Amino acid sequence: MTDLTQLGIAEAARLMARGELTASTLTEAFLKRIEAIDHKIASYITVTAHLARNAARQADMEREGGVRRGSLHGIPIGLKDIYETAGVRTTGHSHLKADYVPAVDAESVRRLKAAGAVILGKLGTHEFANGAMTPDQPFPAVLNPWNVKHQPGGSSSGSGAAVAAALCMGAMGSDTGGSIRNPAGYCATAGLKPTYGLVSRSGIFPLAFSLDTAGPLAWTTEDCALMLDALTGHDPADQGSARTPKVDYGAAAHRPIKGLRIALARRWYEGEDGVTPEMKAGIDEAVRVLEDQGAIVEEVVFPDIRDYHVCGRVIITVEAHAIHRRDVIERPEKFGYTTLRRFQLGAFFTAEQYIGAQRFRRQLTLDTRAAMRGYDLVMTANHWGPPETFGEPQPIFHFLGKPSLTMPFNVTGQPAATICCGFSADGLPLAFQLAGRAFDEACVIAAGAAYERATPWRGHRPAL
Amino acid sequence: MSSSKEAPSLEEFRARAELTGLALTPEDIEHLHKGYVGLLALMDRIPGRWAWAAEPPLVFRADE
Repeated sequence: MTDLTQLGIAEAARLMARGELTASTLTEAFLKRIEAIDHKIASYITVTAHLARNAARQADMEREGGVRRGSLHGIPIGLKDIYETAGVRTTGHSHLKADYVPAVDAESVRRLKAAGAVILGKLGTHEFANGAMTPDQPFPAVLNPWNVKHQPGGSSSGSGAAVAAALCMGAMGSDTGGSIRNPAGYCATAGLKPTYGLVSRSGIFPLAFSLDTAGPLAWTTEDCALMLDALTGHDPADQGSARTPKVDYGAAAHRPIKGLRIALARRWYEGEDGVTPEMKAGIDEAVRVLEDQGAIVEEVVFPDIRDYHVCGRVIITVEAHAIHRRDVIERPEKFGYTTLRRFQLGAFFTAEQYIGAQRFRRQLTLDTRAAMRGYDLVMTANHWGPPETFGEPQPIFHFLGKPSLTMPFNVTGQPAATICCGFSADGLPLAFQLAGRAFDEACVIAAGAAYERATPWRGHRPAL
Repeated sequence: MSSSKEAPSLEEFRARAELTGLALTPEDIEHLHKGYVGLLALMDRIPGRWAWAAEPPLVFRADE
């Protein structure tokens, strides 16, 4: 049999359904690989091997007894270490929470377990999903499996790195300004930021209440869809949780995309100081592939990318300060330097400035919706070029640099996926985003999965 | 909305820092001033005048 850790969720689920693979065998393969490989990239903070083995045995016993929990039954999953896990420390990659052991699972973790998922452990993150990987934090920096000299992106760094390195089949991340899509892009995985309100955030450390979303990273868009199937549904414990009809996202991954209309937001990423030529070529080729499958791609002008960037950044800065204010005042020495600075900054903004950003957000949402009229999806670049190296100084006020290409869909709340579209000459991933209308994840998934099936990139894994 | 043209001087920013309740060293304040002024310059893009009824949502919902 092939290396089991290279299987996708969909394929493993089919093998288990036919009785050709057990959850225990699959889990052991991943635990063995984590032990052999993870020291090279430090993607895990905590490996819960004993709990994983028990969960895998339980999954196998249920299957032998005729119980079928769905596509995640027996599938090994990792969790960004801001997801609370009953009896397992949840650190936020911070000294502040280094010994924190929650009593109850986050709602999304509960749902994953109810779907039969096997939790392998907790994955590295930028401190509280906002800081950076700095040496003043209690756990080592996660490295990029494609080239360990480079950053893996963040804040869901461990999630991106572990999925790419085949150290779990899927991972949960969170996305407030791009924290799923950024590591997904830099690590060449698929990643899906759901519509604001689709996936419960209760039991996940917040960064900015009005922007936070929780979602999956996996090797393929179809695998993200299978994870999403287990995660959605209203949660009264999350005030932002929406009531939406149940959708079969796994099935959406096999929909044809003929006739799908895609608005290309080219002005966001091209022009002076735009994406690298390789990124531009990768996206141009992706447009061609989607058109070959029957999609109609047309260039559309959206509001300026800098408008979304500053709008989201003001909201994050102020809300993150409000959330962490007590610790910033009482235990500032427990934060990493970069995280502390970013959390302190929010103390200087006025209510008028914050409300102004929220009003701007409403305006941008309406303007984006108007620009999308007649289109099913927006397509744009995922990131500007190769990830920074660890040798480069990390700017503390990173938002003063280039605008974030991922922020528009946090501001508007739309679902957005990251799709790998090749590799640079240096072997670093290229990627684009597809964003849909609010709660139309199915359309995003259909197009992303169709692209992946038509291209060779899912057959290429990092050598570790 | 404040404009970058009205960005506070370091002295003005120090006075404001005293009101934040944070324990900040002069070096902290100087660094935060740079970040604040930088973000304030970007905030020139946020309109300063809104119709009186242009209320933001209290809890943002993408399905509105």
